[in-house]
Amino acid sequence: MSQAGRDPGLTGRQPGAVHGALSVLEEVARVGPGVTAQQISAALGLPRATTYRLLNLLVQDEYLVRLPDLAGFALGRKVALLAGLAVQATPEGVHDILLEVRRRVRGGVHLASYREGVLELVDVDPDFPLSDERRLLSDLTSSALGRLLLAERRGAPVPYVAVPNGPMPGHGCFAAAIRDPHGALVAGLALALPTQRLGDPEALLELTAADRPRLATALC
Amino acid sequence: MTAQNPPDQLVALGRAIARPPVVAGVAQHSPMAGLERRTVGFVDVLAQSIGAVAPAAGTATVPALIAAQAGSGLLVAVAAAWLLAICVAATLNQFALRIAAPGSLYTFTSKGLGSGPGFAAASGLLVGYGFIAMFGVVGAAYFLQSFVGVLAGPTAAAPWVTAVLLVGVGAVCFGVLRRGIRLSARVTLVIELTSLVVILALLAIVLSRLDAAQLAAPFTHPLPSIGGLVAGTAVALTAFVGFESAASLGREAARPFLTVPRTIRWTVLGVGAVYLLSAYTQLAGAGAFGIGFDGGQAVARLASDTDVAAVGTVLDLGLAASFTACAIASLTALARAVFSLGREGVLPRAMSRIEPLRKTPYRALALVVPVTVAVPLVLHAIGWSPWQSLEFLIVVSAAGYITAYVLATAALPAFLRRIGESSRRTDLVAGVAAVGLAGVLITYLVVMVPGEPVAVAVVGGLATLAALAYVYVRRTRSRGLARVGLFDHTTSSDLLGGS
Repeated sequence: MSQAGRDPGLTGRQPGAVHGALSVLEEVARVGPGVTAQQISAALGLPRATTYRLLNLLVQDEYLVRLPDLAGFALGRKVALLAGLAVQATPEGVHDILLEVRRRVRGGVHLASYREGVLELVDVDPDFPLSDERRLLSDLTSSALGRLLLAERRGAPVPYVAVPNGPMPGHGCFAAAIRDPHGALVAGLALALPTQRLGDPEALLELTAADRPRLATALC
Repeated sequence: MTAQNPPDQLVALGRAIARPPVVAGVAQHSPMAGLERRTVGFVDVLAQSIGAVAPAAGTATVPALIAAQAGSGLLVAVAAAWLLAICVAATLNQFALRIAAPGSLYTFTSKGLGSGPGFAAASGLLVGYGFIAMFGVVGAAYFLQSFVGVLAGPTAAAPWVTAVLLVGVGAVCFGVLRRGIRLSARVTLVIELTSLVVILALLAIVLSRLDAAQLAAPFTHPLPSIGGLVAGTAVALTAFVGFESAASLGREAARPFLTVPRTIRWTVLGVGAVYLLSAYTQLAGAGAFGIGFDGGQAVARLASDTDVAAVGTVLDLGLAASFTACAIASLTALARAVFSLGREGVLPRAMSRIEPLRKTPYRALALVVPVTVAVPLVLHAIGWSPWQSLEFLIVVSAAGYITAYVLATAALPAFLRRIGESSRRTDLVAGVAAVGLAGVLITYLVVMVPGEPVAVAVVGGLATLAALAYVYVRRTRSRGLARVGLFDHTTSSDLLGGS
């Protein structure tokens, strides 16, 4: 941490401001709507004057909005433009393993993480785009990946979930659990396939049996 | 984690983008709905403030008014007023960075000090914008008449011509304002820049004809008494008022938290520089040509004495346009303050009606424009000369404006403390601005008693009227009073994932 971090003279024109701005956005996202300037300043260890300036800059550019009480902040509509920045980089090795699986399976191969009990898409098969990503993320019962997580939350873990009829007619999906050495659910490997190929889920489980432990290692 | 150690993975941000959080307490509509939202660009917002200040008209007329108080201390008075205006602008910008409100200064005041001081600031603002609008109408008619006089001869000096011109200028203002904010802003900016260019050219001509000794003369004058300087500063400050009026476009401006503070800052800085140059030139020129500052036509007379009389005639037209722009911009801000008071219920709700197609507050305009023409007509009918009216109107207007400034700047520390964003620096600047302004206001009124006893009496009368109105509103419209402070808050469509 350089001395400049504590310099109240930091202005919006300095390169540090970009880092500061991203930290502030991440903090607002982490704490949630209603977080105040003081809380952000304390959590990030930023001088208060710098925090106010960054917050006001982000509000001017509409990445943040002030809530009607004027003290709290929330993410603005423009944050959606940062989606590219915010997508988590796929950990080293994961992508190579997925390429191998995709060569072997004639269908969509998607990887989702369940870190902190939240479904997050890590790597979506570019050749087989998801039909409704928004719904997949918001309604856990709508997909095999979501149901895998729901089963875990209910305390009845399952090795896989197969959904023969998905939103696309004649197609469904299959998701296999990826667990760490302690047995905790870390991720899910989903295969999007025509309905008739989902009849034998045990065979699909076997198809990726070797890949899943490798993915678990690469993800940790 | 600090600014120098950014998160390498924006995990929470990614999650929020994928699944936007539900935000409690954010409504779908703003209480200021009806006015256009977030569409007016930076140039048009800038035009609003510049138009309300009317630097061209101010440059031509105000140095004479200041010199009457500060004499040879003219330059010092202008510089002191500039500094004070910069402090006020910095303070008001702290509000403008956070609140978008058609009620501008009175809404800001209520956010820090509550509805009572908010009501007082609203009264000050209505008087300030209202009387400066009348000032604009009278000035426009005056210079138009002078211009027509050159073309049509002595017939044009008849009193009925003045009356017709007053009504005509009012009608033009109403037409432009009703057409919508963009047209009025554009008209204002073009007018203001054109007349400013003419005036700057004129100043350059005057300066080019002076020798070194004459150019140095303004700096060798002995300083007048402190009292004269403070009075001069107070008068000089009246030439700045209006710079804050961009804040009244808080709802209509695109990216208001950027454009409004930037406009306020640039306007104060730019206008101050022009005033200093103009004051200096007029001081040097008047010394060189032996002309006194009187009748408000110092620039035109300087022009005549430098054999550019034709420019002086064109200048009349430019000044008429500048005064019209001033009226339009002031009426814009005034109508929005009236609109906001109507939405709150302090004034009848009908005042907040919006013309659906043009999205202009036509009911508020239909109230304020006729009043703005009626008062100058009355002054004309009782036999006041236009110059007499102008001097009277600017005194009343300045008292109203500065009252609103004092209250809004005094409200800032309390407001920032409430939202947990106070700092010693903002407190200090706000304190300097509030105390300085209060001193200026009192000095100004005291100094104005001998020259403008009627104006000072009218200020007293209006203050009493405002106090009575407050008592009345508290009795009969207490719910409206409780709602004072409504602003164009964040709506659900502004939020990530909102619609």
